Amino acid sequence: MGFVRNIPSTSTHHSLSDLVFPLVSQRLPHRRSLNTSPRAGGEGAQPLSAFASSTSSSTASSSPSLSSSQERTGSPSLGDLVRPDFPILHQDVNDFKLVYLDNAATSQKPFAVLKSLSEYYETYNSNVHRGIHYLSSKATDAYEQARVKVAAFVNASEPREIVFTRNATEAINLVAYSWGLSNIKSGDEIILSVAEHHSAIVPWQFVAQKTGAVLKFVELTTEEVPDIKQLKGLISNKTKIVVVHHVSNALGSLLPVDEIAHWAHAVGAKILVDACQSVPHMAVDVQELDADFLVASSHKMCGPTGVGFLYGKISLLSAMPPFLGGGEMIADVFEDYSTYAEPPSRFEAGTPAIGETIGLGAAIDYLSTVGMQRIHDYEKELASYLYDRLKAVPKVHIYGPAPTSTVHRAPLCSFNVENIHPTDIATLLDEQHGVAIRSGHHCAQLLHRRLGISSSARASLHFYNTKEEVDVFIEALKDTISFFSSYL
Amino acid sequence: MSSAAARPFPGELIRGLRSVAEPRSSFVSFRRLSVVSFPLAFQWFSWPKSRSPLRPVRSQQPQQQQQQQEEAVDLAILPQGLREIISLFQSVSDPKAKYQQLLHYGGRLPPLDPRYKTDEHRVRGCVSQVWVRAFPDPGDPAAVRFEADSDSALTKGLAALLVLGLSGAPAPAIARIPPEFVHLLGLRQSLTPSRNNGFLNMLKLMQLKALQLYAQGGGDPATNSASGEEIASSDGSVGSVITEVPVGREANSGVNGNRVDHRPALTSIQEVSEVNLDAVDDISPAPTGGSGGRAARIRERLQRELLPLELELEDISYQHAGHAGVRGSSDGETHYNLRIVSKEFEGKTLVKRHRLVYDLLQEELQTGLHALSIVAKTPSEVGMK
Repeated sequence: MGFVRNIPSTSTHHSLSDLVFPLVSQRLPHRRSLNTSPRAGGEGAQPLSAFASSTSSSTASSSPSLSSSQERTGSPSLGDLVRPDFPILHQDVNDFKLVYLDNAATSQKPFAVLKSLSEYYETYNSNVHRGIHYLSSKATDAYEQARVKVAAFVNASEPREIVFTRNATEAINLVAYSWGLSNIKSGDEIILSVAEHHSAIVPWQFVAQKTGAVLKFVELTTEEVPDIKQLKGLISNKTKIVVVHHVSNALGSLLPVDEIAHWAHAVGAKILVDACQSVPHMAVDVQELDADFLVASSHKMCGPTGVGFLYGKISLLSAMPPFLGGGEMIADVFEDYSTYAEPPSRFEAGTPAIGETIGLGAAIDYLSTVGMQRIHDYEKELASYLYDRLKAVPKVHIYGPAPTSTVHRAPLCSFNVENIHPTDIATLLDEQHGVAIRSGHHCAQLLHRRLGISSSARASLHFYNTKEEVDVFIEALKDTISFFSSYL
Repeated sequence: MSSAAARPFPGELIRGLRSVAEPRSSFVSFRRLSVVSFPLAFQWFSWPKSRSPLRPVRSQQPQQQQQQQEEAVDLAILPQGLREIISLFQSVSDPKAKYQQLLHYGGRLPPLDPRYKTDEHRVRGCVSQVWVRAFPDPGDPAAVRFEADSDSALTKGLAALLVLGLSGAPAPAIARIPPEFVHLLGLRQSLTPSRNNGFLNMLKLMQLKALQLYAQGGGDPATNSASGEEIASSDGSVGSVITEVPVGREANSGVNGNRVDHRPALTSIQEVSEVNLDAVDDISPAPTGGSGGRAARIRERLQRELLPLELELEDISYQHAGHAGVRGSSDGETHYNLRIVSKEFEGKTLVKRHRLVYDLLQEELQTGLHALSIVAKTPSEVGMK
């Protein structure tokens, strides 16, 4: 199994113990790297420049493919190559090397992003759009440059179609309050799936309550994936908007958003895509999807917390009333009324999270340098590996569809172990093994209720995780299960 | 609700230390062996104050913090039951064994009657479901008893620990318990107040319910929640209420007198050494059973049964003379360090070895042996043939 695999050759810390106790000592090279700066000697910079490809996310990467056979012969995986860029990964928790598998909750940040944040605050922090002095125009330029980067990242037709918000949740609320309240009336229908994140459901509940519209939910198939046929059947000329996730944060499944958009548009309905779990992991093209609205959060894509964005077709945004009122989003202000700015400013009231937005731009630069296609290919492998190893553990049930040769899963698994509460599993994995996973309902109570459970455990990977870490997780899980089983 | 359920038998508790998993994965035992085997032979005689000689490779700082936290809790204000639990946890130093201990407690907790699984009894802030119920002790109106349940094994263990530690104490004593006591157990438990802190919320709910009962003088809790809320101060802090509640001598002595019947006995020594340390100047002479010669008896027993190649027994009772569970016992003979090397330990996990030793010393445990810290090695582990 994975125990006897050679250590990837980026590590120069081979020792006899690596051969004798491969699994234990595979952790040691990283432990020792704590004492040396991971960026020293350009070890961090080197892997990136070696694979610098075009920044366009849709270009096929020319870098070598990472088949598992290549890994076994010792060539480093993408995870091994990028790990030195992420300082937070190189630490011990509870006396064990940290294995961070909670990326669907939030991702870690590379030095490039951290550097851009401190550079902003140290050298050019200044309020944007208002001042005319040097610092302020530098900050404004960087802020607007970030907007351009995001627009290019998702292939928006122009930067004005990107509105910066606090996070994806705020972006959905923006659409609900601004577009929803002025376009939806009593009797209209809003289509959601039971697998949606609470942030995609609750704002539409507000809209339904205020307008008298009706929420319709798409149920799961026996494969535990939203029923696309049922969704198609639910779309009618009463439908005003369809709200769906691109990739499910619990089921790991991908929805055919382009097809759904097609059906929605055929009846004059809009589509809002929750791309929180897709934008960080694959190239997302809003033109291909023909999305009307698309939302994502910076903190899940290696950017700082405190910023997210809404993509909206400029024709839609131009017709929408403001969401939050205040400075920046106005044109002229009088006693009784004001006139408003054009989008995107219309929807960006007050001083934004300037540094953080610039940090998001740096994250996008970093991701683009690695290459979204390369990230996606690697994560497909990780996803299969995780699924296969987890499935092989007795008494484990994984939720969501099984991957097929044509349809793959995201690199995350929500699962339960027979007779053991997921919180117990997660607690011991953390306390006794340093493995960080999540337990709870993952902001998807509807989904859990449909699956007949109150909570589940979830391990979610990102491109800086490795198969070795999956091995550590699986062994830790087996150990934890046997601990509880023998007690029970 | 049978009262027997609230009194786990001492033997069963010790047995609880044994009913543990054999770690199957060589992955785990490699690490443990490689870390634990060497430093102990040289360190344990110095018996660090933090009482955790077997704790491997933890960085110094948390240990110092823990020491400070431990020292900050005045053991004297904790109910007897809780002190005993703390002591038991401290005599088990391997973190995994502590979890096993916790699971054992949870396993001893009887299921809660479904009619009490309501929102009124639900503890907020747990990812798992937890319910807690308080009711007056049928035999002693001044004392409060608890029941609890949870669908998560570890949470149930924590709940059981609280149930066992708090049941039988009077409400004011319960309300005075500082949450920091949990640090003494050596479990990693955050005390950050947040809506997600299950342990903290469990303790606070139990304290609140105890006070509600106290306010009614033992009436039906369900009808008197209003007065309970009046007592609880507006900032929700239960602890700050206590200063306003008179703690009468009569109440205490009433509890004193009844203690022997209602306090959950966690180790048998409690049945023997009954000291109510809530009233500090009321130290009753306690029959301890420490009749001298315990060390010799222990040695003799272990020699006979385990044929050890090395046996070292150190009476460190003097180090514990000040703390609550021991005060009132005479002549020490309550706490020992044991180091024993025997072929009998071959093929046995750490916990199985400890269980073997405890089994052999049952009689001592029942007559005043309070805690035994064991280093149990096989000859090959210490480099002997």
